Amino acid sequence: MLTLVLLFGLALLTACGSPASSSDPNSDASAITPFDTLAPLPPERKKESTAATRVHPEAIGSYAGAFEAAEYDENADFVYANKITIFIDSFNVTTAFGHSVVAGNLRSFSGPYKEVKEGLEITGKEPGDDRYDGVFTFVLNSEAGLLKGTWKANNNKLPVTGRTYELKYRRFAYNPNLDLPEDVLWDALYEKHAEYAGEGEFLTQDVFKYNPSKEALTRQQVENMYKGDLEVMRNAIYARHGYSFKNRKMRFIFDRYVEWYMPVSTDIRGDLTPLEKKNIDLMKRYEEHADRYYDVFGR
Amino acid sequence: MPEQRLGTGLFTALRQINYGEGALLLAYAWFCWLMWEITRQYIPWNDDVAFLRIKQEYMGLAYYRQAFFVHVYASIICLPAGFTQFSPGLLKRAPRWHRVSGRIYAFVAVFLAGPSGFVIGLHANGGPTSQLAFCLLAILWVYCTLKGWHTARKGDIKAHRNWMIRSFALALSAITLRAWKVGLVAAFHPRPMDVYRIVAWLGWVLNLLIAEWIIRRRVFINANK
Repeated sequence: MLTLVLLFGLALLTACGSPASSSDPNSDASAITPFDTLAPLPPERKKESTAATRVHPEAIGSYAGAFEAAEYDENADFVYANKITIFIDSFNVTTAFGHSVVAGNLRSFSGPYKEVKEGLEITGKEPGDDRYDGVFTFVLNSEAGLLKGTWKANNNKLPVTGRTYELKYRRFAYNPNLDLPEDVLWDALYEKHAEYAGEGEFLTQDVFKYNPSKEALTRQQVENMYKGDLEVMRNAIYARHGYSFKNRKMRFIFDRYVEWYMPVSTDIRGDLTPLEKKNIDLMKRYEEHADRYYDVFGR
Repeated sequence: MPEQRLGTGLFTALRQINYGEGALLLAYAWFCWLMWEITRQYIPWNDDVAFLRIKQEYMGLAYYRQAFFVHVYASIICLPAGFTQFSPGLLKRAPRWHRVSGRIYAFVAVFLAGPSGFVIGLHANGGPTSQLAFCLLAILWVYCTLKGWHTARKGDIKAHRNWMIRSFALALSAITLRAWKVGLVAAFHPRPMDVYRIVAWLGWVLNLLIAEWIIRRRVFINANK
């Protein structure tokens, strides 16, 4: 248990280490694309560039949905479906630029595109310096707001070497009023090393009691809550900011049951409001205390 | 030579321990070790560790901080009394052990651990329910220990024994309330503050009832001899 919390903390820390990840994809997606279409170009290329900026402006945007395993090693430990957001950031004459955010990973891609009957067919290669990099091939129908395609891993020894997806156009906006749906009560919380099958820890109605993005929590409000409820309540703050969870326990909840959740970033620390930061600190103290002392001799 | 008598007395008393008493003493030793492990978290002085991580709103109060550390460091000194004070053999063969150990216990309980327990009890987690439980516990502990002290000085051994049985039963609440917590959590998975409120009472009221039963049983046995 403690290791899970620690791992999550570590994941947060390491995820925050990447400078690219601090960008807000809606306001400034170009910051992470290698080619800036808005930068002034030499005169001889001017014509080309005006053409380029006019290439499919309607296609720019973000598309979210399930990223489902299609080719996989049945005996391996993997996650069948994660929530993914694919951002189409820019185009030039020959190349499309974008990035994806899934399972705590933000990866850019780029590659050729062509017009097909349903829209644009884009082949986006990830840089290739990450173990989990691969190639996206999808058709983008911006009129219907649909993005549909496949992803193939570069490394064919991974547990999942191919995934499919049908994503819908969706614009991310932080909204503190979003509440957790009742559906989060359906499953036991994920434990990597569950001691006994069926001995899962479930959430309770408490998890809906407060929205720590909206109201200041008091000690009295949180001290009698179960650790699991506190943990999900706290992580809902990160989810509202579009944080992409590396940690499976949280991913399983937010990816599966929280419709409004959309992963857009791997570092949201700078986006947290002072109220949220205060609540996070309070909840974390009680979570850590429960984690260490709830079932042992002591207080 | 008193030192020599002290050592041989202890040795003879140890040899007279039967299996039941031995098991009890071992169990007690194990719980004392657990209490020491808890105390050790606060060595060296650190006011943002363990239990104090969820008491930060009181860390600004100097008297709370001081009372907390007095309680943690002093209370542990009361536990060894459990090994020495209830052995008739030791009392008979090396009464000095009983007196020295008893004085340390009584002094620490009455002047350090008891009053500091009262002060931190005022700010106990779990609201008025547990605050009342801990404050009452502190008052009763100091009262019973004082009574036991005075009756010893007066030479009223029977009353001294009874008051000290009560006093030590209350001191044991440090162990029993934590043991109850482990048991209740394992059996019912209660909410953290619910279990805290329950053990705040269960931890010493039951001890006191058992103490009264022990006292009355002895009176009854003696009357029927």
